Amino acid sequence: MSSPVQHRVETAATADRTGVSRRDLLALAAMGVVAGASRPVMAATEGQLTYGVHVSLAPSWFDPAETQGIITPYMVLYALHDAMVKAMPGKPYAPCLAESWTAAPDGLTYDFVIRKDAKFHNGEPVTAEDVKFSYERYRGTSHELMKENLASIETPDPSHVRFKLKKPWPDFLSFYSSASGAGWIVPKKYVEQVGEDGFKRAPIGAGPYKFVSFNPGVELVLEAFDGYWRKKPNVKRLVMKVIPDEATRAAALKRGEVDIAYSVRGELAEELQHTPGIALKPVVLQAPNWLYFPEQWDPKSPWHDLRVRQAANLAIDRQGMSDALFLGYCKITNSIVPYTFDYYWQPPAAAYDPTKAKKLMAEAGRAGGFDAGMMYCDSSYSNMAEVSVNNLAEIGIRVRLEPVERAAFYSNYGAKKYQRGIIQAASGAFGNAATRLAAFIVKGGAFAYGSYPDIDELYPQQADEIDHEKRAAILTKMQQLVHEKAIYAPIWQLGFINAVGPRVGESSFDLIPGFAYTAPFEDLTIKA
Amino acid sequence: MKQYIARRLGYSLLSLFLLSLTIFFFVRVTGDPAALLVEPGASQEDIAAIHHQFGLDRPLLVQYGLFMASLVQGDFGQSFYYRTPVFELYLSRLPNSLELAVVAMFLSLVIGIPSGVLASVQVGGFWDSFGKMFSLLGLSLPSFWVGLVLILFFSVYLGWLPSSGAGTPLHLIMPAFALGWYFAAAHMRLTRSSMLEVLGSEYVKLARLKGLPEKLVIAKHAFKNALIPVLTLAGINLVIMVNVAVVVETVFAWPGIGRLLYEGITFRDFPIVQGVVIMGGAMIIAVNFMIDILYAVIDPRIRLEK
Repeated sequence: MSSPVQHRVETAATADRTGVSRRDLLALAAMGVVAGASRPVMAATEGQLTYGVHVSLAPSWFDPAETQGIITPYMVLYALHDAMVKAMPGKPYAPCLAESWTAAPDGLTYDFVIRKDAKFHNGEPVTAEDVKFSYERYRGTSHELMKENLASIETPDPSHVRFKLKKPWPDFLSFYSSASGAGWIVPKKYVEQVGEDGFKRAPIGAGPYKFVSFNPGVELVLEAFDGYWRKKPNVKRLVMKVIPDEATRAAALKRGEVDIAYSVRGELAEELQHTPGIALKPVVLQAPNWLYFPEQWDPKSPWHDLRVRQAANLAIDRQGMSDALFLGYCKITNSIVPYTFDYYWQPPAAAYDPTKAKKLMAEAGRAGGFDAGMMYCDSSYSNMAEVSVNNLAEIGIRVRLEPVERAAFYSNYGAKKYQRGIIQAASGAFGNAATRLAAFIVKGGAFAYGSYPDIDELYPQQADEIDHEKRAAILTKMQQLVHEKAIYAPIWQLGFINAVGPRVGESSFDLIPGFAYTAPFEDLTIKA
Repeated sequence: MKQYIARRLGYSLLSLFLLSLTIFFFVRVTGDPAALLVEPGASQEDIAAIHHQFGLDRPLLVQYGLFMASLVQGDFGQSFYYRTPVFELYLSRLPNSLELAVVAMFLSLVIGIPSGVLASVQVGGFWDSFGKMFSLLGLSLPSFWVGLVLILFFSVYLGWLPSSGAGTPLHLIMPAFALGWYFAAAHMRLTRSSMLEVLGSEYVKLARLKGLPEKLVIAKHAFKNALIPVLTLAGINLVIMVNVAVVVETVFAWPGIGRLLYEGITFRDFPIVQGVVIMGGAMIIAVNFMIDILYAVIDPRIRLEK
């Protein structure tokens, strides 16, 4: 079996690490004192947009070779660097530094033609040698897999690159374009000249913005690169200020100190929503949340009965939960596969029907309900789990909440320590439907506590299938089986809420589906 | 005296060693940093690669040996998150933390000492009651709440001060006040109790019996002696302000060492947490060592103690 998910977009838990706390409520109480009386007083710098960033920016994010598999670095990569092929508005695989590519019918060779007007910030042209160097230099997540599958990289001339694979690998383009940093191109000569550390201190890329300065933990300053091939960026200067506290970010936005604030949630988001001049920009992350029933393969467990799992699915009030916790911005897809993924199959809409759920419970001989033990969850999202616990209690499934610190939770989840009860989890892992099923459904998957033979049989068939249509048909069948067997109770794809101030014209939020931050940067505008 | 200094130095080095041992093992109890660097669904190969990259796949004792070998050369290791030497990061944040700590300390002393003196000379009076209320609030109100209220009032509502960041004196006012208030309350309480103790002493009674004016008794005889424990505490507090103003620095996005520690804890960046704790501990140990030496110089009985 191929390695499961190979590139990850951060889940909301990573993007948005803290939960609603006493602190938020106290802040809200304080905010109530001054609500409606805020004064934006900062004089905006002309031609500059300032961001209030929720996490500390790391120098490793300036180097595509270091991309570790969370989406956060792409917040900077999209500005500083460019990829041969990457996700762009309306196109999950948009030609960027590569103006075109072709795949051989046998799936063993990929030929790329490099755009003639593509330049690095130092004026040097992007060449085939840079492309080869960047691939070989990549050492982030899934680099082993990428090297294992590669036979050779040929550079017949400065404008052409040929990747030869050892065996057909239908997911090559998926990994090369967005599921790793290998396709993001750095200037070979410059990297060799300044060394690895030197490159992180003063990175040069081929993206729409040039590096100006970086003060760790404080701010990153970028300047428009007029020679960018796609278009000259509209905004001359970008400043990314690190403001870790959510309430402070909201205050900075209200005051006009920042123009764009990442990650503002709950009551603070609601407060901003009612502030004149400020607009919320929610983005649906490619990070579905779900409930999982690890006991379903145990014939003695109530969860072994399909009707019980279906009842649990019907008991969850997803829309009510989204309205209450995320201002209704979550997308209810009823799948554990993000809707933006290749080979995604849209299941029937999720229903909230406690009456039907109770009927199914009765049919399963569980009219009086049962004690389901613990519900384990990442403590950052225990507020969601609390709602699920109450919803399940309404149909007689009694479960106790066990929030666990995020890293410990996922470590235990992956180590298959939660054999009993219910698991509430999420994954922002990049990839496609096949990689998602490999990790969470198929036998041997990193997070699969059991599997079904009919689904397992289909998995290798799709992995060897080069024909897109035939592969899609197999993966659709697999997803249908997952839905029919109610292996999971999918909840939603989480709404990641950002906010922008009155100066921002085009914010570039949500132009690339599933991407949490602003991109493409060259499309940003300031209002006249 | 030399023997005394050697003994004290030995204790200091032992303390530092125990601190290094404690922080090294405790930080590893918090869990696996790789779990925060990959998404759920990461393959074991990816996680193993991260372990290997950071040397976390080696036996714990080997890791500790390497850590100590680097430490004695002044190398705190490289941050997992920033991929930068920890000492370099520490030094880059130190000026900001010093600036904040010095101003906060100044505020805490300017507020805490006079109010403590006033409270002690008017026991049960207005200033005493006011002081008690002030210290109760200072010690009990969480500094993040104080910080947020300051931001919302002075920054959002009045628009007088920047809400966050550093760079100008205006940026310093709110975080210094939020940090200083807690310590002002602590200094106020210690000044009050120390003054009350001194004011009840025999030599102060004698000064009063001699007919010295009350102001002179308080200022010259009582205050100077009462100040010794307050300043000793202030020295330690200054080190704490420099190294662990975690909450205030986070709320105000102040780029200091406290926030570096917060980032280290958040990302399970072991080298950062180890580095900041050891630097902070070393400073406290150094201050204590100097105080011990000074005491010994002032009072010969101390250095003669076995």
